[in-house]
Amino acid sequence: MKSTRVALLLVLLLAVAVGASGTRPAAAQGQTIKIGVLFDHTGAFAAGGSLNCWRGAKMLIDYVNEKGGVLGKYKIVQVDADGQSKAEVAINEAERLLNAEKVDILAGIYSSAHAVPLAEKVDKQKKFLWITTAIADAVLKDRNLQYTFRPQPNGSLFGENSVQYVAHYSQEKLKKAPRDVRVAIIHEDGPYGTGVAAANEAEAKKQGMQIVLKEGFSIQSPDLSSLVTKLRAARPDVLLHTGYAPDISLFLRQAREQGLRVKIYIGHGAGHSQLDKLKEAFGPDVEGFHTVDPPAAQLIDPKKLRPGVADLTQEMLKRYKAFEPNIPAAQIAPHVSMGFNNMWILLNDVLPRAIQKHGGFSADALAAAARETDIPEGGTLQGYGVKFQPPGHPMAGQNLRAIAAVFQVVEGGLKHVYPPVVASLGNPPVLLPPSSPWAAR
Amino acid sequence: MDPIFLVEAAINGILLGGVLAVLALGLNLIFGVLDIVWIAYVDLVMLAMYAFYFMVQGHGWSVWVAGPATLVVGALLGIAVHLLIISPILTSAPINQLLATGGLLFFLQSFATFLWTTDHRSVRLSLPSVEIGGIFLPFTRVIPFAISILAMLALYLFLRHTYIGTAIRAVSQDRDAMALMGANPQRVYVVTSAVGGAMAGLAATLLSFQYSVHPFFGGQFGPLTFMICVLGGLGNMVGAFVASFVMSEIIAIGGVMFSTEMGYVIAFVVFIVVMFARPGGILARRE
Repeated sequence: MKSTRVALLLVLLLAVAVGASGTRPAAAQGQTIKIGVLFDHTGAFAAGGSLNCWRGAKMLIDYVNEKGGVLGKYKIVQVDADGQSKAEVAINEAERLLNAEKVDILAGIYSSAHAVPLAEKVDKQKKFLWITTAIADAVLKDRNLQYTFRPQPNGSLFGENSVQYVAHYSQEKLKKAPRDVRVAIIHEDGPYGTGVAAANEAEAKKQGMQIVLKEGFSIQSPDLSSLVTKLRAARPDVLLHTGYAPDISLFLRQAREQGLRVKIYIGHGAGHSQLDKLKEAFGPDVEGFHTVDPPAAQLIDPKKLRPGVADLTQEMLKRYKAFEPNIPAAQIAPHVSMGFNNMWILLNDVLPRAIQKHGGFSADALAAAARETDIPEGGTLQGYGVKFQPPGHPMAGQNLRAIAAVFQVVEGGLKHVYPPVVASLGNPPVLLPPSSPWAAR
Repeated sequence: MDPIFLVEAAINGILLGGVLAVLALGLNLIFGVLDIVWIAYVDLVMLAMYAFYFMVQGHGWSVWVAGPATLVVGALLGIAVHLLIISPILTSAPINQLLATGGLLFFLQSFATFLWTTDHRSVRLSLPSVEIGGIFLPFTRVIPFAISILAMLALYLFLRHTYIGTAIRAVSQDRDAMALMGANPQRVYVVTSAVGGAMAGLAATLLSFQYSVHPFFGGQFGPLTFMICVLGGLGNMVGAFVASFVMSEIIAIGGVMFSTEMGYVIAFVVFIVVMFARPGGILARRE
């Protein structure tokens, strides 16, 4: 009797030990991998790109499952959650996915305001977080997170690139040296806007430009007319704007009606990249607008990509038609590529290595596999390579090969115009056209 | 800064105040009579904005037809909310009333998301602006301001010079005494809800000149509208009118003199200070 009890106790202890180890051998996990996909399906962020990111991620997961799953045998079980564009809801949903749904991987996250608190909480639980979208430096900077990885370019790249683009074309288009260019920077006051604006400011100072105004605002502000008034008083040549979605529409309307006129208008991602939505609000007046985001897969010259990669872009475009049958390829937001491509990196590169080399898909195995990721330039749909900053680096977990592209709306569609490595237009218009209601004449 | 920009900010504050006043008066009218705060009031505005959008963009109606039709939609929504949600809880504990109207808010937001997705929809009205001495006056703000002032005047005349308006004021002063006089408060409640709903419809029309509609539009104006109602004194129509302009001026001028965010910070500080000094609102009588 006593020996039976001892045997039972040993079995129990063994079971607890296996359960607590967190390193489940692949064979014992069945043939499925559970991925929690957390985006904002409702609230202000949904139409600002979050929904398009989710669509991209879902299309890729469906595609991989149709091909037999990861390594041809591990099917992905996608568990969706809605952050509702509220940080507290996103955090609660992440907790639910990790601890109630017991997902193996948490992926997605659109808003940096959600990603900043969430990344630390998830990392402390030693769970694997794969950020497809949120860009703020603050998500990773000086936190030395061990289980959080972001293939997406970080906010500083956005802020630097837009200013470098202006400097690159200032003499040719503005007929001014960079030091004579008057720049105004406005931004939403969360980590996303604040981070991009800080990079705008630092780069503008480096280029010797004149910063005539830098100001933040809340995306919930019901009125931005005083900001427009100050911008008119500051008389900028270039307006650098980082916002989400409804605030962008409100600002542009009030700017148009209050007579704000600039030569170059550059938005930074989010609502500025949802060209179909901008067109619905402003029609053809959006011609000449800029946005900054990771390159859109469908705008990249297939010859610049590794063999076979461009075929996936066609797959993405084909599947996107199920969501938006009437949007031409040149108007599809880069957020679709972010969801699709960054999920592809996870399922095509990190997960297979974790299973084959590190014995499964525990957080430790996934983190080890991610640290070994080494995709060269041209190896992903969005053109960039992937190599994550190692532990101990100030930006540990950030893809150091990611790039941000400047887009301009030309002839009604988005075109890559900077940096030269992705530019599809050698000599973009840069300036707002004379017909634009926001154009300085 | 050139003083002309301060003048422009002050004018912008007045123009914003007109629309805020319509929102606050509709909500305050309902509170004054029914003694219930419709937390979901600005979400009714959101529904009415969708109605206006679909009439103009979907069916090609003129704004002069769609505007009055939106008032009717607002009035019907007001009656529906009263009969379905408010009437059964009129005598319930305040917390239950708050939970019911708060629940309505979430329902309306989810319902709108379900029906129309999270897309932002704009009525593409392209009205000109006039420039006077370097100050831009956009007609998309001047026209709503003028209409809102006329509407408030009409509301004042309605409450002062009509039989039902007098009844509404009587119920707002003492609903029990009104019942003892043999009047039917239920009828007054329905009419008040219809008038409050029509004001929501009017606000929806005016806001559609300047704002995109989306299911979460209420979050943009809801807190400010409640703050104005409380600052003016819940149920106090004149107080709400004055508070609308006080807040909008602080936001506009504070925004230009300091920063956009600071304009709101100052407005909130003023609100807190006034609440300490005059808890009944800026026009409340000292006891």
